[in-house]
Amino acid sequence: MRGVTLASVTRSEWIKFRSVRSTLMGVIVTTVLTVGLGALIATAVRANWNQMDPIRKLAFDPVSASLGGTLFAQFAVGVIGTLFITSEYSSGSIRTTFAAVPRRGLVVAGKLLVLVGSLLVVTEVACVATFLLGQSIFSGVVPTASLGNGAVLRSVLLGGVYLTLLAVLGLAFGLILRQSAASISAFTSLLLVIPIILFLLPQSWQNAATKFMPSALGRSMMSTSAPENFFGAWTSTALLVVYVIVAFSVGVALLLRRDA
Amino acid sequence: MLRVDHLTKHYGDTVAVDDLSFDVAPGVVTGFLGPNGSGKSTTMRIMLGLDRPTKGQTSIDGHAYRDFPAPLREVGAQLDAKSVHPGRSARNHLRALATSNSIPLSRVDEVLEFAGIASVADKKVGGFSLGMSQRLGIAAAILGDPGVLLFDEPVNGLDPEGIRWIREFFATLAREGRTVFVSSHLMSEMALTADQIIVIGRGHFIAQGSVDDLTRTSAGTVFVASADDARLAQRLRDAGASVAVSERGLDVGKMPSATIGAIALADGIALSELTPQRASLEEVFMELTADSVEYGSAKVTS
Repeated sequence: MRGVTLASVTRSEWIKFRSVRSTLMGVIVTTVLTVGLGALIATAVRANWNQMDPIRKLAFDPVSASLGGTLFAQFAVGVIGTLFITSEYSSGSIRTTFAAVPRRGLVVAGKLLVLVGSLLVVTEVACVATFLLGQSIFSGVVPTASLGNGAVLRSVLLGGVYLTLLAVLGLAFGLILRQSAASISAFTSLLLVIPIILFLLPQSWQNAATKFMPSALGRSMMSTSAPENFFGAWTSTALLVVYVIVAFSVGVALLLRRDA
Repeated sequence: MLRVDHLTKHYGDTVAVDDLSFDVAPGVVTGFLGPNGSGKSTTMRIMLGLDRPTKGQTSIDGHAYRDFPAPLREVGAQLDAKSVHPGRSARNHLRALATSNSIPLSRVDEVLEFAGIASVADKKVGGFSLGMSQRLGIAAAILGDPGVLLFDEPVNGLDPEGIRWIREFFATLAREGRTVFVSSHLMSEMALTADQIIVIGRGHFIAQGSVDDLTRTSAGTVFVASADDARLAQRLRDAGASVAVSERGLDVGKMPSATIGAIALADGIALSELTPQRASLEEVFMELTADSVEYGSAKVTS
């Protein structure tokens, strides 16, 4: 008899994931923010290009400029990841879930596979779309980039990887805190508030600390050449993966110990 | 066979369940009776592996719950009626559950039909009445056709027709040889629903037995009315009974009704009433749990 397996639990989580409206809304918001705001930023760059400082023109990266919408989309994917688990706690359905699958590690693994699989598709499509749209907006006025270039392709694809990793980070926060509002606040603070606090520190401290922030790692990942004082793209990716693994491990350890 | 073995559960300083032991046999409906906050829900959650016991254990046919390869095929449970994501349809909720345990999806339509909610299967659960939610919980419980079923306060929110339906449903499950364990704080309901009753209070075991056993142990007097109460009272006292005389008749203790009838016949006293007195389950319950009703706001279980 086939019973509870990783495959059956993953299919079950996929049904849960796509059968609530918040997922669809989250995906739409993610796409609109990535592509729509990306296009808006590209349009603004094009309009101001002739007035731009020559030094800044020299440092201009058409790839990261076209991926600017991800700065906003990162909050949407975080919410998708968080709600995937916290909505089960707020509704009480977590008990139904764990009664059906007492090996809770399987539930988390299923959620992780569904979240990574679906968001990687959505965010990669959105990042490629906003890149192409951005280049067509820049075209003729602002320098453009092509996906045929290895570094460009890497930057665009790591945009989707960055957003997907942040969705998993949101899931990890949800596992740890179990409440939607608390988890989303913590997630937002990590991305927005802590960088602002760092900004108040002396310049040398800032330079040392800022590059460790998830948002800074994202900037490196989505630039063809890493900004000054930042880690390189692959180091940044690896560091972000480590963050996610640490947060996720804490979440799973708590989940296995706690009463449901 | 459902077994609770020296089960203890603490939540911080609160003792929800205290060294509780009992067995629940298959083939009958077993009521799990106790005041609110007496540890019924906690016990059921531990049975399902949701809460971790502080001490002791529960087992199902000798197995720990988490060891079942497909738990929904062994144990069906309805805990809180609202344990469903409000934005999901009833059908999708059941599909997700069935899929996790490799139960064929055709079963989803069957249980929706059985529970009488097929017509609202594609509506969001958030809009369900309490009664409809209870029916969805029942549909979920029988999804895997399990041999053991747990229901936590299942009649809450059901209309009279629904209550009749669920009573008949429990009886059918028991007749099929399944173990049916139903919690309630309503003794009157349990008297009609359950064959066996386990009473707990403040996490302690208080009593276990059939409704008959529990109501008989407590009372035992016989009410008698006759054409000549005074003479009959004297005869009965002479025969060793204790008799209390009231305007309506006699309350006779320490003597079975057959003996009372025989004495009356021998003396030619016509009886107009001869009724063995039986405490209602409610009275027995109040008496048994008088010391263990949890007052105050420190409730941790519902």
